Amino acid sequence: MYVWCVADRNSGTLSGLNSSENAVPADAKNLRVKLVLLGDSGVGKSCIVLRFVRGQFDATSKVTVGASFLSQTIALQDSTTVKFEIWDTAGQERYSALAPLYYRGAGVAVIVYDITSPESFKKAQYWVKELQKHGSPDIVMALVGNKADLHEKREVQTEDGMELAEKNGMFFIETSAKTADNINQLFEEIGKRLPRPAPSS
Amino acid sequence: MTSDSSSSPSSSDTEFADPNPSTDPGTNSERVQSQLESMNLSEPSEVSDGSHTDYGGGDDDDDAPAEVALSNANEGGFTNGRVVREDLAETSGEEGREASLRAEHPVEMEAGEEPPSPTSSGYDGERGSSGGATSTYKADDASEDEIREANGDGDTASQHEAAWLPGKRHVHEDDASISWRKRKKHFFILSNSGKPIYSRYGDEHKLAGFSATLQAIISFVENGGDRVNLVKAGKHQVVFLVKGPIYLVCISCTDETYDYLRGQLDLLYGQMILILTKSIDRCFEKNAKFDMSPLLGGTDAVFSSLVHSFSWNPATFLHAYTCLPIQYALRQAAGTILQEVCASGVLFSLLMCRHKVISLAGAQKASLHPDDLLLLSNFVMSSESFRTSESFSPICLPRYNPQAFLHAYVHFFDDDTYVMLLTTRSEAFYHLKDCRIRIEAVLLKSNILSMVQRSIAEGGMRVEDLPIDRRLRQKASSTNNQGQDTGGPDRLRDISVGTGGPFGLWHFIYRSIYLDQYISSEFSLPVTSHRQQKSLYRAYQKLYASMHDKGLGPHKTQYRRDENYTLLCWVTPDFELYAAFDPLADKAMAIKMCNQVCQRVKDLENEVFLQGASPFSW
Repeated sequence: MYVWCVADRNSGTLSGLNSSENAVPADAKNLRVKLVLLGDSGVGKSCIVLRFVRGQFDATSKVTVGASFLSQTIALQDSTTVKFEIWDTAGQERYSALAPLYYRGAGVAVIVYDITSPESFKKAQYWVKELQKHGSPDIVMALVGNKADLHEKREVQTEDGMELAEKNGMFFIETSAKTADNINQLFEEIGKRLPRPAPSS
Repeated sequence: MTSDSSSSPSSSDTEFADPNPSTDPGTNSERVQSQLESMNLSEPSEVSDGSHTDYGGGDDDDDAPAEVALSNANEGGFTNGRVVREDLAETSGEEGREASLRAEHPVEMEAGEEPPSPTSSGYDGERGSSGGATSTYKADDASEDEIREANGDGDTASQHEAAWLPGKRHVHEDDASISWRKRKKHFFILSNSGKPIYSRYGDEHKLAGFSATLQAIISFVENGGDRVNLVKAGKHQVVFLVKGPIYLVCISCTDETYDYLRGQLDLLYGQMILILTKSIDRCFEKNAKFDMSPLLGGTDAVFSSLVHSFSWNPATFLHAYTCLPIQYALRQAAGTILQEVCASGVLFSLLMCRHKVISLAGAQKASLHPDDLLLLSNFVMSSESFRTSESFSPICLPRYNPQAFLHAYVHFFDDDTYVMLLTTRSEAFYHLKDCRIRIEAVLLKSNILSMVQRSIAEGGMRVEDLPIDRRLRQKASSTNNQGQDTGGPDRLRDISVGTGGPFGLWHFIYRSIYLDQYISSEFSLPVTSHRQQKSLYRAYQKLYASMHDKGLGPHKTQYRRDENYTLLCWVTPDFELYAAFDPLADKAMAIKMCNQVCQRVKDLENEVFLQGASPFSW
């Protein structure tokens, strides 16, 4: 699987929602990255984030408005820490035009679909194209098939997800926010794939 | 085509009444009548018409059925309407309204009562309603003044007591469903090509045919160079509002005023603009058949919550906001930090508790309309996701600038208290987040959050807490004894111990004109159930509408009595007071109580109002 190689994603002018002005400069051991979740409404973006950040799962659907901001720090096995600043965007159509505001300058994009909804998989393909056109060239992208616990209702095959991911140089994983399956793995894997800044001294 | 129309959208004279009023034998007005007689009411034109509509007002009920007359809308329900104005040369528009309502709905009448004709129930001529309100209320013989005919809000059929739940219900219904047809109040938003955008009940897609019918009615009248505002069909009012390519329609049998129903459509439109901005108009310019409903995906809870607020939130008809009562120093402390935040480039900063303002500030010359505040707080309170984490969302303030998005930072400190920071800069999130951290530090330092919780627990002003003037009590007791002789023992009322506040005061709303704020008393006995509260608000709404009738200039005082309430309204350049009393309350005492309420509000104004909030008074 292909991983984008980046020299230093914190350099250069960033527009959009970036905390560069108040950010502690990243060093090799303490990474800090802006992550944006994209995908159709109802695929479980917020559930993935809340499972990851708070260990919670709430089955009652709460439609995200605009975008929610959460952060979570994880420690990797090589003793580096990664602080994810997560933009959980609304999947509703009316917010599509505002997506650049959230993915501009993002180091990571997680594109989520629902394995029971071919419609949402189509939308995932749209987001992949959109990010390749307008996202940072060095962005790390992950494709996530959520609701893996609903395998009896599966309509998007794992192979289809893998194929889309491979073609576009993305990391692919199927998760279940409900059972917590693969949620931490998703973020750990992203952490591992993050470009490390060159040692400053 | 049979619909009535008028080219003057704001005119109140465009209503058409069924010319064949039916009378309906009364059930409980006999008692009221005997009470009225026993009270020696000598005012020449005071009437309790005891009007009692035979359907409930529980518009947001799911259960209480109401007969739907849509099917005969084309069968002459409103074909032979007449222009009410012609009959009302000497009377007020309000009376015209009343008359038309009366003609429309079965009304109880009874021997001994004055017939509820417009001419018999106008203002008392010589003293005049437009006279100096202050002198009226100071006068001891004030009971001679400002009599108006009462018109009951007969909200008695509703059985609804259950707690309201957000979100859209009955999505599986459509216009073929009996249950759908029986709903008492429908709201529709559709495009001018007839495509459904929003329906309060039922699935929009299944209502395409119904939407097309509404569109056809509107277009037909528009093609004649006219505009349809209101159609009356039996008990139902069909209110239309055209906003460019967007049509809004309300079909209601709740007996609310046309003006208020139209105001509700206006707010509904504003809520839509808040979510999408007025730039959606351009989508229709490009493609007349544009399907807008997907753009409102996930907003059902926002609209249903707004519709629900029409029956509980006075802000929807007062066009004012209300503050959480809190110590002056604390509100000042919150206001100071909000001002500082605005000075750092934030357009509006608001600290809110549910739908109430704790404090707010605006950038220089930026003015926030109370309706925008209502729509904004409704949007935030009804969108669950704001409570989960801090959010940054585009929103549009329709009164501030309907064309452009602002960006709103929203953060809940606890279940009830939240901050909203509005900016024009889309990249300002981290700045707003820093502002929120500064605000939070102040709130924690001054212990405001726990004081807010205490204020919620204690509630606002109570009528029971109003001081009782002993001399008034004596006088009231003597007048009331006369009523007790014939009123029956169950109507006995110890003035000082009775339900509600002193002298039968049940509830009041005080609206400060300059501040654009109102304070509403807590509901007390006997107005305790949801149904009773809604009924009282309906009565206030009618009172408000009649006081602000554009056609006849502003009125200053109004006193009306029916079997449910005695209502008193007093409008001055500084404030408006709406008060509800026991229907048997003594009029002179009621007037004195109103003075006391005003005094009490002035005594507490630093705690119940946000003082010096510049944004509203630029």
